[in-house]
Amino acid sequence: MILPIGPVHPGLKEPLRLKLKTRGEKVLSAEIDYGYIHRGIERVMEGKTWQKGIFLAERVCGICSYIHTQTFAEVFEKIAGETVTLRAQYLRVLTNELDRIQSHLLANSTYFKAMEHETLFMYMLGLREPVMDAIELLTGNRVNMGWNVVGGVKMDIKQVHMDSIMLIMDKFESEYGRYVEMFESGPLVGLRSHDVGKMTRDEALMARAVGPIGRASGLKHDVREQHHTYRDHMDFKVVWRKEGDNFARTMNRFDEITESISLIRQVIENLPPGEIRKKIEIPAGVAEYRNEAPRGEVTYSVETNGNLIKNISIRTPSIMNIDACAKYMLNDVATVSDAVATYATSDPCIACTERVIILDESGRHLDFHGVHNINSKLKG
Amino acid sequence: MSSVIWYLYEFARKSWAQNFAAAKSNSEIMDKPSRFRDYPKVHKEYCIACGACTAACPAPMAIKLVRDVDSAHEQGITYPVINNRGCIRCGFCAEVCPTDPKTLTCGENHLIREKFTILPVDKKYVIDDYLCIRCKKCMKTCQVGDAIIQEDNKILIDQKKCISCGECLKTCPVKGAIKGIHIANVDEQKEIINLVVDTLEAEIEAHEEDVKKIGEGEVFKLDMDADDLIEKARGILPNEELIHDIIENITDRLKLRIITWDKNKCVDCGLCVKECPSHAISFTKEEGVVRDPDKCLKCSICYQTCPFGAIGYYIARFLFKPSENGGNIIHITLKTSDLPVRS
Amino acid sequence: MLDGLKDIIRKSSIHVCLVNTGGCNGCDIEIVALLSPRYDLEQYGIYVHNNPREADVILVTGAIAEQWRDKLQRIYAKTPEPKIVVAIGNCPLTGDVFNQEGGNVHAPASDFIPVDAEVSGCPPRPSEILEAILTVAPGAIAARGRQKL
Repeated sequence: MILPIGPVHPGLKEPLRLKLKTRGEKVLSAEIDYGYIHRGIERVMEGKTWQKGIFLAERVCGICSYIHTQTFAEVFEKIAGETVTLRAQYLRVLTNELDRIQSHLLANSTYFKAMEHETLFMYMLGLREPVMDAIELLTGNRVNMGWNVVGGVKMDIKQVHMDSIMLIMDKFESEYGRYVEMFESGPLVGLRSHDVGKMTRDEALMARAVGPIGRASGLKHDVREQHHTYRDHMDFKVVWRKEGDNFARTMNRFDEITESISLIRQVIENLPPGEIRKKIEIPAGVAEYRNEAPRGEVTYSVETNGNLIKNISIRTPSIMNIDACAKYMLNDVATVSDAVATYATSDPCIACTERVIILDESGRHLDFHGVHNINSKLKG
Repeated sequence: MSSVIWYLYEFARKSWAQNFAAAKSNSEIMDKPSRFRDYPKVHKEYCIACGACTAACPAPMAIKLVRDVDSAHEQGITYPVINNRGCIRCGFCAEVCPTDPKTLTCGENHLIREKFTILPVDKKYVIDDYLCIRCKKCMKTCQVGDAIIQEDNKILIDQKKCISCGECLKTCPVKGAIKGIHIANVDEQKEIINLVVDTLEAEIEAHEEDVKKIGEGEVFKLDMDADDLIEKARGILPNEELIHDIIENITDRLKLRIITWDKNKCVDCGLCVKECPSHAISFTKEEGVVRDPDKCLKCSICYQTCPFGAIGYYIARFLFKPSENGGNIIHITLKTSDLPVRS
Repeated sequence: MLDGLKDIIRKSSIHVCLVNTGGCNGCDIEIVALLSPRYDLEQYGIYVHNNPREADVILVTGAIAEQWRDKLQRIYAKTPEPKIVVAIGNCPLTGDVFNQEGGNVHAPASDFIPVDAEVSGCPPRPSEILEAILTVAPGAIAARGRQKL
């Protein structure tokens, strides 16, 4: 039978319809229907000045809002052919890593909630709050930070703030290891997560899985390796695993948090002095830039006439990851509750995903009723 | 069994029991940190009503300028009002505010001075050097102080400093010397301009018989009702201010060249056929010499070539103004061109 | 007597359904943050259930996207009485940044269902949401419950 889950469902935070084809309790395959929160953000950005655009880019997604502003700023810096000052680059790394920590903690907590491990869920959220404090201290807001600008960052960091961020990180690290151990060696949790929702390396390649989902299946791919600040000034290693099951994905995120903490320490210890912002003249041009969001690779390609954004297209990681989840992970899952947990571990971010613009033949009217409806329309 | 013991051990820790006994939320969860960017605060007395904040705001309903009613002894002041239901707390308005001290304060954003601030406005002001008489009145009224500069005996607007308040436009004594150009919706603007020019041409062509009667030195005047035109333009882009500005700006400088063709005077000599650069004039035995208006560039070569005066060449000028009964009209004046005729 | 008893029970046990009708997700994660030990929403008897059929409070976060125009009303109809609707964030109030040229949203939410309380901010801090829900929700639910009797 077909078991529909969503769009409003106790198991899901964001609206999305999951159609599970089941026989008894066993899940045979899954199908995903999107399109519930399409707002047309790219179309809103077109024709606006780039100074406004950075605040709109922030609202593509609430969880990874920071990386969207950074990529937006960096694509314009690429058009201008300049790089920001070293201090601004370091500060961007600092905020990016703080954002990654909170996003991974939220993703893992959602997974623990989905497999009904309320204790770890609460621990994860409890750990997340100090990190949110650090972000708020640094940037002035918890979620949509409004901190990045084309040419640098807006506010400088003082010694007081660095000290308190260090303090938060020390406290975080002292508690954090215990929870990881709880998950890693907990026998009941292990039963629910080992060998559930397996995706092999070939399947990950086929589905173009990116980020922790791809890395947990053995795809050693992290865009941070190519980013100039990380490549030249930072010392970090790409975390990856071979198993490709729910356990591996969750552990991969935990290990990345450890990596992020070490990056934050490097930034605060080696923060160079200097200006944080410089003036950049934007010429007309086209460019494309990619960055590593908490969920994987995010790409912005922008065409500008020097003042207005003429054309912008954003590629976010979640669309590939959700499809990978539907096509490969949810094949032959033992129970429906495992299917929901597997879906949660693919860390879906629906707000990122839904930006598709559909034009009718006259090219004006916007109408969107989910990918499947489009496919059927195109066929028929 | 081991897991049960493990979980018991986990929950039976002393600190956990203590926390459980004394569980209540801390009052500091309601505190906001010092760098928190709350809703912008408005200090009315500094505002110069430039509108930079409204132009910069990325949220459409967050901020608007209001003006108090005038009292007996003084004028009401103008100041921005923040709508909390629309404000996204980005602090960009505080960053772009040009006054010193700033009218808007928000988090630490108002500490950023305008060294890096490039105003995102949907209107750009430019000075038409051809019409400028260098009276420098605009330099004196500039709200920023040094946004209008003199360079090589030309008056220029420094786009990086201009806040697009439009004060200079009000003081300029020459109509059309300072223009406010909309930089958004370029394609729609092109459509509107084409529409206006096409309508004006059609209007003049409808009066072709009158136009042909214009003699040397005479001026033919014509008033066209512009309300239909504005109504049509609204269908392309429903922005009243923009339509008004476009029509006003293009009619100020627009010079339409009109070619008329008097079939009776034409003797089918075919001189103009060879001269025409765009092959708009053709000769067939049945119809004689025919001009295709779609291909015509209005270059006036045929007018200068024709020895029989069959071709008329006129210049049309326009003025967009409000009519007496509340609508808008375009006043059209036509006269013969000053070009010499080979005759 | 019975009314008073019902009031006490309604005030002390509130089930919440979270409906994202097309926002950036920011408000949703701030509500999830409310569940964390620091804010601890459940100590006030509020439980985020995400199930409209047993909810007392519907939290609407998000400008109304195309698909939600009829579905939001269906969710509202499925929720048992007494129920109240709280709009969280700017999206259901004014449409936020999406409600301008090019955006495909149908804000505000009050065009579709009656909204009893609103929290502004993009996104509001968890403490602001907590404050708004605690001052409005229990009283409003009790009042709504009495109305129907």
